[in-house]
This record gives sequence, structure tokens and C-alpha cells, in this order.
Amino acid sequence: MDKVLSTLISVGVTVALSLALWVGANVLFDQARNNWRRFNAVAGAVVGFVLLSILHGNRLLVAVGPGPDAVGTLAAFVWPAALGAATFGSTAWYLSGVDGPRHRLIAGIATGTVVGVVVGALLRSAYRPGFDLAALAIWTAALSGLGALISTRRGRPAVHGALVGAALGSLLGGFGSAELGAGNMVGAIAGATFPAAAFGARIGLTNNADERGRARIDSGSRAYIFLVPSLFFITAALVVPTIRTIYLSFLDDRSENWVGIGNYTDVFTSKTSFDISNWPDIFTSRLFYLGTAMLIAGLAVAISTKKRDGRAVELGGPSIAPLAIAAGLLVFATFSVLRGTIMNNLWWVFTVTVVSTALGLAIAVLADNTRFESVAKALIFMPMAISLVGASIIWRFMFIARDSSKNQTGVLNSAWVGLGRLSTGRGIPTLLASVALGIVFLALAVKVARLLTTGKLTSLPIPMFALFLVGWAWVRFVGLVGDGLGGVVISSDGEVIAKPVLFVQEQPFNSVWLMLILIWIQTGFAMVILSAAIKAVPAELLEAAQVDGATESQVFWRVVLPQIATTIGVVVTTLIVLVMKVFDIVKVVTNGNFGTDVLANDFFAQAFQFANRGRGAALAVILFLSVLPVMYFNIRKMQQEDT
Amino acid sequence: MVNAAYRFLRSLPTWALWAIVFLWSLPTLGILVNGLRPRDGQRSTGWWTVLGDERGLTLENYRTVVEASSTTNLFDAMLNTFAVTIPATVIPIAIAAFAAYAFAWIDFPGRKGLFIATVSLLAIPLQVALIPLLQLYVSGAHLTLPILNKTITLIPDLDLAGTTTAVWLTHAGFALPFAIFLLHNYLSQLPGDLFEAARIDGADHFTIFWRLVLPLSVPVLAAFGIFQFLWTWNDFLIANTMAGSNPDALVMTIRIANLAGDFGRNEHLLPAAAFVQVAVPLAVFFGLQRHFVRGLLAGSVKG
Amino acid sequence: MSKHRMLRFFSVLFAVALIASACGNDSSGGDDAAPSDAAPGDEAPSDEAPSELAGTTVTVTGPERDESEANAIQIALDIFADANDMTITYTGDADWEANINTQIEGGNPPDISIFPQPGKLADFARDGSVVPLSDAAAAATAANWTEAWTVFGNVDGVQYGVPVKTDLKSLVWYQPDRFAANGYEVPTTFDDLLALTDQMIADGNTPWCVGIESGQATGWTFTDWVEDLMLRTAGAEVYDQWVSHEIPFNDSRVVDAMTTVLDLWNTEGAVFASGGSIAATAFQDNGEPLVAGDCMMHRQASFYAAFFPDGTAFADGSEGAVDVFYFPSIKGDSPVLGAGTLAAGFNDNPATMAVLEYFSTPEYAEARQVAQTEGKDGGLSGFLSAAIGQDTSVYQPLEQSFLEILANAEVVRFDASDLMPADVGAGTFWTEGTSAVNGDITAQEAADAIEASWPS
Repeated sequence: MDKVLSTLISVGVTVALSLALWVGANVLFDQARNNWRRFNAVAGAVVGFVLLSILHGNRLLVAVGPGPDAVGTLAAFVWPAALGAATFGSTAWYLSGVDGPRHRLIAGIATGTVVGVVVGALLRSAYRPGFDLAALAIWTAALSGLGALISTRRGRPAVHGALVGAALGSLLGGFGSAELGAGNMVGAIAGATFPAAAFGARIGLTNNADERGRARIDSGSRAYIFLVPSLFFITAALVVPTIRTIYLSFLDDRSENWVGIGNYTDVFTSKTSFDISNWPDIFTSRLFYLGTAMLIAGLAVAISTKKRDGRAVELGGPSIAPLAIAAGLLVFATFSVLRGTIMNNLWWVFTVTVVSTALGLAIAVLADNTRFESVAKALIFMPMAISLVGASIIWRFMFIARDSSKNQTGVLNSAWVGLGRLSTGRGIPTLLASVALGIVFLALAVKVARLLTTGKLTSLPIPMFALFLVGWAWVRFVGLVGDGLGGVVISSDGEVIAKPVLFVQEQPFNSVWLMLILIWIQTGFAMVILSAAIKAVPAELLEAAQVDGATESQVFWRVVLPQIATTIGVVVTTLIVLVMKVFDIVKVVTNGNFGTDVLANDFFAQAFQFANRGRGAALAVILFLSVLPVMYFNIRKMQQEDT
Repeated sequence: MVNAAYRFLRSLPTWALWAIVFLWSLPTLGILVNGLRPRDGQRSTGWWTVLGDERGLTLENYRTVVEASSTTNLFDAMLNTFAVTIPATVIPIAIAAFAAYAFAWIDFPGRKGLFIATVSLLAIPLQVALIPLLQLYVSGAHLTLPILNKTITLIPDLDLAGTTTAVWLTHAGFALPFAIFLLHNYLSQLPGDLFEAARIDGADHFTIFWRLVLPLSVPVLAAFGIFQFLWTWNDFLIANTMAGSNPDALVMTIRIANLAGDFGRNEHLLPAAAFVQVAVPLAVFFGLQRHFVRGLLAGSVKG
Repeated sequence: MSKHRMLRFFSVLFAVALIASACGNDSSGGDDAAPSDAAPGDEAPSDEAPSELAGTTVTVTGPERDESEANAIQIALDIFADANDMTITYTGDADWEANINTQIEGGNPPDISIFPQPGKLADFARDGSVVPLSDAAAAATAANWTEAWTVFGNVDGVQYGVPVKTDLKSLVWYQPDRFAANGYEVPTTFDDLLALTDQMIADGNTPWCVGIESGQATGWTFTDWVEDLMLRTAGAEVYDQWVSHEIPFNDSRVVDAMTTVLDLWNTEGAVFASGGSIAATAFQDNGEPLVAGDCMMHRQASFYAAFFPDGTAFADGSEGAVDVFYFPSIKGDSPVLGAGTLAAGFNDNPATMAVLEYFSTPEYAEARQVAQTEGKDGGLSGFLSAAIGQDTSVYQPLEQSFLEILANAEVVRFDASDLMPADVGAGTFWTEGTSAVNGDITAQEAADAIEASWPS
């Protein structure tokens, strides 16, 4: 129970503290407009608290107040910070109440001096600077000169910049380039006082903010208050590591020598990442010829609709479906002959993005306003709740193949081998299945014939495609060609032997089976978001379209789809980025064996398992760069919508 | 033709939907059944034969998963997971909402550039950040000035290595680009005239954000919250890197990976372990599902 | 104007803070690898006697994470910890190979890690991450282990690693009953083994069970076969040259060894692969078919006992009991392919070194063996140690015969893939080997690709 309590407390305190800090910052800057002195006092106190805490946390200051000289104790920590808060807070409160340049200047220098003396006196002896006067002079002069220059260029008095420059320069020169611990307390006080006084003078030189200035502080600070938490996290978690990775990618594997773009040329000349030497194999691919046939049919339809309606391709038009199928088949045929991690990645991106989005949309439409809609959608969405690693393990069980003499324990192979046994069987079920397939084939043939006779040629490609597929399955099933449809072969002595599919091992389509895992997970994501978007289409639009006499499908293509286009864009972008980085599935199921390796897995192996930092970093940068165009288009689109 | 396809799709009886749902649930169903079968049963026959299997059903796998003692016990591991997932969900949602609001509705110089840069970071594979972040947690951030040869401490050593805090901080950082991307998309479509009216009435950004934007964006916040919760709950890589060698901070996923054993020795425990792991997300999901979907619906009433 | 002033205000504040902290950081340059739970300032003086380990904490990580293994390691360590009033925690890491690299680079290694690969230990020793053993620990290691095993923890003449576990790989599992029923004899020469294989095929039996699928480590079973063959065909000397890359990986002797293995596996009827093909069969799925009689022999290491079906009897003469014979030699020199784990420390704290010293002792091995046997409910533990001076009665009869084979071996060589650089030994040797087994490439092509990947 102790553990529960401490966990609860630490989680609660973290969340509450973070929120309180942020709300506090907002409330604080709210004060700037109406309660200028209070704003200054609190802001000054916060600055003093933080500054002295930093100094003290770095063990720069001697312990003040009661208790032993231990940094670890809360009391020892609070004392200097409280002192800082009090000094800075009262200083700021005082300064914000003083008007008139001369008074402010004097007050600024005086309070700066006080702060400097306090800090200098508290400085641990180990940090008292032994001044290098030449360096001090050079730094102070150089930075004040620079500050003056900047001020002048901005059209403000040179002395403003010069003072800030002198403060910084004397700090850098006094502490930065000096030997610490060599000086005495006087030096420390002098070293701390001069910059503080110069800085105080700089504040004193400006007038107290007027009404408009205060309002500006209030509103101008807001963007930063809203952004700073995110930027802090993003910088630490992403920006710095990215810069480091880019840097490492130009060094060798031990991060010792500069190799220029050597790592990148290695990646692109290596057969493991990029190998298109097998491209002629595409001419032996059945997918390729099927795709080409569909492409020709689709183009023919497009030309004829162009002649008829003036538009070759339109949403919901007859040429879209054959062209889309043709594109899918041709892309698949192409990727099945190309090798290497980069090609695999592109294949993943194409397949998972297209299938998940399309299927998610289809399910969203199918489930819309049906009974038990939420149950159906919950079950489709459920894989999202399973980790990628867990899903991979689950699908490994689905993909299991076992020797032909054993029971198949994987669902897929069991079904596939079962189909094979059915098609090579001699019983009633086999007969019924052949007849059923035959009926479907004939029905499709009748449909095609009717389209041919009525001259609706533009609607022909899809039924023809279906007719071809069903016909092929029928011919295989009844054994006119091959050993039956399914996972069996017939041995020379007529025995039926199970021939399970080695889903994970058989190239090149083993990659597709891995993609299926991600599709299984991500379809739910696409469905939920698209379903919400569909429901968000204003009812008036739909009614107006129906009143105009649009059919239900016209309503979908002309009204619903354009309305949810933005959401589809979000889904597609998210999926592309996510799929590009696919890692866990490949690592768990094949670890990149059997030609299934992808960039992120290769990167992980190189960088973490083999400690080849240069090569690994280059792969990560390639991964990053390859997603940038997607982001670019997305943002371009967003900007266009803005204007 | 596509019209026909659409008509066909719409005219499909509900059983087509249920066929898809069945196919989609099949893998999970299989794992659920196998988790209840003894090792030899799992290995020799398919799970669908369970009804005729004389080996029968057993809770032995679940008992092993729940009671295993070689690694952190289940209860502590679950606590650690909560200690990671709750802050890792709440904090990024909050600060991403701030940032998304700033990007969408506050005019400041460099807004577009900063937004593009932030969202582009979506493309960073999180593995690149593991080592730098671990260094940060172990020893803080230090910068050595080139000329002065003095090292500056940007962030002190907070002794975070091997703690759940390190894990959720990492999650929070990685979640932000996507969170900002998603929330910005939503917030920027909220009715601007509403805010304009509020501004004229003298409300500042903080008030607008607190009183108008937050209530209006509950659905999208909830949606992102669920995704983020699922991701952090299921994460293995970050938790293992940041706290994998501290038995007091091990999360559920690591515990389960340890149970599986090296060389897949205890692979038969995985189905049961997977269900123990997924129980909480599923409960959360089914429990909140109505709110979740309704939330997304409520969001859709936007103009 | 005011907005700019805000900005400037913050930037100056930031600069001041930076400079302030600049002066304070005196320790960041140093190597701060000490365990972080000790508050600064109260570190114990380092010259204290081991009896004053009280209150210290030592963290140990390693890839062994199985319930019975991790428990046994923890129990064995607790004996030492309790005696010295200290805390030792063992954590098994499911992704040890990658995570240990990350932790070292991130500056957060454990105190001690258990290495299954001497090659990796050597890498870390050379770049200074792993520290040499203290004199006491090195002396204890030398006293408790023969040089045949300590040499794997020795890098450039300095002892870094302590052997903690031994695996015996040149073993063939079989069922004596089934051999007797078919009139087969245990082969004593490699030619006999090949002849026996042919005989079995001719009799309509399937001689071998082989499967090389092992998740992220798929292919390691193949490398083991090749290594055993290398030891037998080319001899220990060439084996050492192969490991240290004095001969290229695509040397004809290596290719020959790979070809021999592949030819044997690809012989019609020689292999039963329960997963449909050798590359698709999980290595842990070979115990069942052996017991069921789908195959007669399975060449696998001593720890494979844990992968037989529940209730399998071992070498007790009972019906269907499983036994092992030595994978026979060709030249009569009885080489043994071994493997195992080594413990090494990432800092030289007295507590760390004291635990490493304990790791080398027979007491540790016995304690772990007893605990692990208990964890298996009295079955074979899967653990084996070649530490000198153990009470062998803690081992079961079959395990004692393993120890005997180890003791009689004239030539012991460590698993080559564990000694090679990770790029090869845990990389291309596995992946290219798997491709060759899968029939995607030839042995020569695989060897060429592996040679090309050897880090320069």
C-alpha cells in the first residue's frame, strides 16, 4: 500500500505542479496590465528564486541559515532561494514604483549593487575568480561595443546595448575565462557587483512601462507562455537528438573520423537497402499482366466518358475503379520484384496507408446507422488497444505452418489446407462448392453479356475482372488446371499431401503478410476518425442534395467525400508517417530476414546491436528526410485552406 | 461503375459488416482460447479444436503469469505502468493544447515557420533520441563553451535514470508533435467569430482558452488521450531503455517480455500474458467507448 | 517595444543563469559512472575490507530472464548478499543485446552485466566501458576455472570477465529405446554418423529434426552446426584463425563446412521440419517430434532439456527416455563446441568486484544449480558450470555426463559466432546463413556476403 500511496502522490503532485506553474504564469502576466507593481514584485521574486536556486543547486553558494552545510537538505536549499526571492522581489517592486529617469537610474544601480554584493559575498571560496585583467577588459570592451552596435542599428541609444554588453562581457571575462578558486572575497564581490550594477543601470535607463506597454507585455507574453512547455519538451526530446543524429551520420561507425557523405553512399550502394536489379522479373508476374489489362480497360473507359461527358476521370465516375485497381496491381507487381529496405518501406507505406484508409472508410460507411454500430466498431477498433509487439505475436500464431503430416495449428494454413482438401475431395461438399462457384461464374457471365448487349461498355471492366477471378478459381477448384485450389499437392501416386504456405518465409509476398498485421491495427484508427467525420457532415447539406434528386451514391461522392477530405488527409498523413517508421512488427516476426527488412529495423540493428553509429544515423536521417515531402504537402495544403 | 460499387456497398446486408468484424476478431479470439489451453495442446492442435480436446481448459497459464516471481510482481508492475501512463497522457495533452491554441489563434512572429518545424518532427524515428535522452537523465545537460573552455550546465543531474519519471518524460516529448498536429487541426476549425466576440468583450487569451476552447475541444482531447494512453501502456522500447535495469520501475510490458523467457522457452505463456497486458486498455476502451464516440460526435457539431 | 523587452529580459536572465551554473559544474568532466544511489559526499572510502560491504547495492543485468533462471540467479546472489548485509538485484533484460549498448552510451550501465558473447565483452573492454577485474577477483577466477574457460574473459592479456555458466553444444539428443528397436548403434565417428543417417533414410525413418527459427536470433542453430563442422573438418587452429579473421570468412574450408551442413539438411528425407521448412521451424519445436518419433536425432546444446515436452524422462532407462551422445569427431581429437556466459563489471567499486569474485566460485554455481533444479520441479535445470571443485551431486545423472564430456575434451572452443564482431556473429552470419538454408542463396554467396560485412 505504501507503494500505491507514493505512486499516487508523486503522479498527482507532478500533474498538479505542472498545471499550477502554467496557470500561475498566466495569472502572473494578467497582473501586468492592471497591477503593474505587483506583477513586478512577483516576477522579480520568481527570477530571484530561480537564479539563486540555480546558483545554489550548482553548489556555488555557501549555505545560509540554520542546519549543516549540506546541499541535499530542503532547509539549506530554501534559504538562499528565499533570500534571492526577497531581494529580487523587493528590488523589482521598488523600481516599478519609481518614475523619472534620474531616480530610476540611481535606484537601478543601487539595487543591482546590493544584489551583486549579496551573491558575491555568498560565493563559495572555490569559485572566487582570480582575475585575468586582460581577458576581463577585452571581453567587457568587445561585448559592450557589440551591444552598442546592435542598439544603434535598432535605433535606440547606444548606451542601452553597451550596458547589457558590459554586464555580459564582465561576467564572461570575470568568471568565464578566469581561474576559479584563485581569488578572494573582495574579488568575488567586485566580480558579481559590476555586472549586476550595469544591468541594473540598464533597467533604470528605461521608463516605467506605460499603459500601452503594460498591455503589450500582457498580450505579447501570451504566445510564449502557451508555447514554452511544448518547445522545452520538443527541444530536449527531438530537436537536440535530431541534430546529434545528423552530425553522427557524417562520422564513421565509432564516431571518431569525419567521413562526409560516405555513410549515405554506403547505404545507397548496398544491396540490402536498395536493389532494383531484378526488375525484368516483372514480366513474369501475373499481377503485372492483370494490372496492364485493367489499365487499358480503364483508359478506354476514360476516353469514352471524356467523349460523352467531357470528363475523363471524376469521383464516382466509371473510370475510377478500373484505374484504381490497375494502379494497385501494377504497384504491387513492381514492388514484388524490387528488393532492399528502402523499397520495402515504400511498399509498406503504399499498402498499409491505402488499404487501412479505404477499408476504414468502407467500414465507417457500412456501419453508419446500423444496429449495434458501436459494438461492431469497437471490435474493429480493438486491435488498437494491443501493442504492436503483442499484435505481432498474435499473428505469428495465425501464420504458423506445420509439417504436412501434422495438424495445422495456424488458422490461415488450416483454412488454406482445408480448402485444398475440399477441392480435391470426392464427397458431396466438394460437389456443392463446385456448383456454387459455377453459379457465381454464370451469374457474372450473364451480367457481362447483358452489359455487352445493352452497350453499357463503360461499366464492363469490373464485372469482367470479377468474372476472370471467379473463373480462374473455378477452373482450379474442379482440377482442370493444377492440383486443386488451396494448400495441397497431389503426389505421383495420387495421394493428397498438405502444402501449407510459409507465410513468413516465402518471398516476396511475406512482406505483405507482415503489412496485414499493421492493417489489422490501423484500420480501426482510420475507421474511428473517418466515421466521426462522416457524422459531422451537416444534415442540411445532405437533405439539400436529396431534394435536388441526387442518388445516395451521388450524395456520397459529391457531398460527403468532399466534406471529409480534410480528415482523410489527416488520416493518410498520420498513417504515412507511422508506417514509414514501422519497426516492431518486422523486428518481432522476421527481424528483417527473408527479404523483409525495413529502414527502421536496419537502423536499430546498426545503431544499437552492432554499434555502427555512423551507418545507423545515416539510415535515421534518410527515414526522416523521406517523410518530409509528405509533411511539406500537408502543410502547403493547410496554408492554402487558411488563405 | 463506382456508383454501382457504392450502391452495392450500401445495399450489403449487415452480415457483410459482421463478416468483417468476425475476421477482425479472429486473431484475438484465437489468442484468448489458446491462453486457456495447456502447452502441449497449444503446440499440437489448433485452438478451434478446443471443444473436442481431451486436454481441456486450464487457468494454469494465467496463474503463472500472475504469480511469477522472478521479475517484478504483477501488482507493482501495474502500478509502475500507471505511474508512467497517467502523466504521460495528461501532461502532453495539456501542453499540446496550449501550443495548438497558440499556433491556431495567437498571432506572433514566426508562427507558421515554427509550426511547420514542430510538425515536421513527427517524422523523427523515436529511436534516435534514446541515447541523448538517457544521457540527459543520467547526467543532465551540459554545454562546453568553445573558447572559454568552461562547461555550462543547462539542466542539472536530477537523478532520473531508471525511474518511471524518465519514462513518462520521454513519452511526453515524443507525443507532442502528433498531439499538436491533431489538436491544431481541430482548434483551427473552431468558430473564430466566437473568440473575436470574446476578445471585444475584453477576454484575454488565457480566459478564452480556459473558458471557450477547452470545453469545445473535449472530444479531440479525449480522442488523443485514448490513443496516447494506449501507446504508452503498450510501449516496451522506451521503458526498457530508460528504466529496464531497475526492478523497482519495471512496467507490465517488460515483465511480460521477461516471462516469455530467452529462446522463446515459455512461448505458451504469451497468449495469457497478452491478455493480462491488454485487460486494462480494453476495459478503459470499452468503458469510455460511449463517451469517446459521443465526444467525437459532439465535436462534429462545429460549424 | 515592450515585447522585445520581455524577450531581452528573459534572454539576459537565461544568460546569467547559464554563466552562474557554468562556474558550478566541476564534476561533469569526470567519469561519473558510480552507482547513483549514494548521495554525494557520503561515499565510503575505497580501501575498506570486504566485510564492510554492508549497505551497498550492486545491480546485475543479463539476457537470462526465464522464470526459473532469473530466480535461480537471484537466489544464488542473495546468499552472498545476505552474508554481507548488502543488496544485489538481478534483472533479466528482454532486449539485452541492444539495451546494454544504449545504457553504456547513455552513461547508465548496471554495475555488472552477464555477457553471452565474449566478442561483445572484448569490444566493451577495449573501449574502456568494462573495467578489469581486481587482483582478488582475477585470482579467484584463475583458481576456480581452467584456462580453457577463463581465456574468453581475457582481453589483450588482462582478465575482464568471470565465467559463470557453461553450455555444451556438441551433443545429439536421441531416444535409446527407438535406436534399440531399429537396431541402430550410437555412432562414434563422423562417418558412422553419416552412414547412420543414410541407413535411417533407407529404413523409412527421418534421421534429423532441424529448425533454425528463433525470433530475432533466427539462424543461430545453423551457425552452431557450421562451427561444430569447422572444428571437425578444419581443426581448432583454423577455427581460431576463422574467428579472429586471419582467414577470410569465404575461405574454402568455411564454405566447405557450410556446404556439408546444407547438403546434409537438403538430402531428400534427411530432415523433419515441423514448421514446414527448416527456416520456418522454431528451434524450440524440435523436442516434441523427437519424442513422437518423427525424427531420430536432434543436434542441440545441453540446455535443450528444457524444451522437451512436460514429463519427458531423461537418461533413466525408462520407456521413451531421452539421452544424448557426443557429436562424433572426424580426426579422433574429440573437439567440443562450448558456449556460456561471462560476468564483467562496469566500475571497480569494492562491492562490484566482491560480487564478481563470488560469481567465479563453485559455491555460486552450486547454489544456482540447486535453485534452478528446484524451479524445474526437480527436472533438468538447463544450467551447467565447469567451475572447479563443485559438488557434482547437485547435478542429475545426465548433467553429470555433460560435465564428464567437458572434462574429457582435449579441445574446447567457444561458439564462434559469439566471439566474432556483433555485425557478423549476431548479424550476417545468422541472416545470410538463414538465406542459404532457405535456399535463396548458395553457401558461397552467403560466405561472400558475410565476409563483405566484416567490420574493417
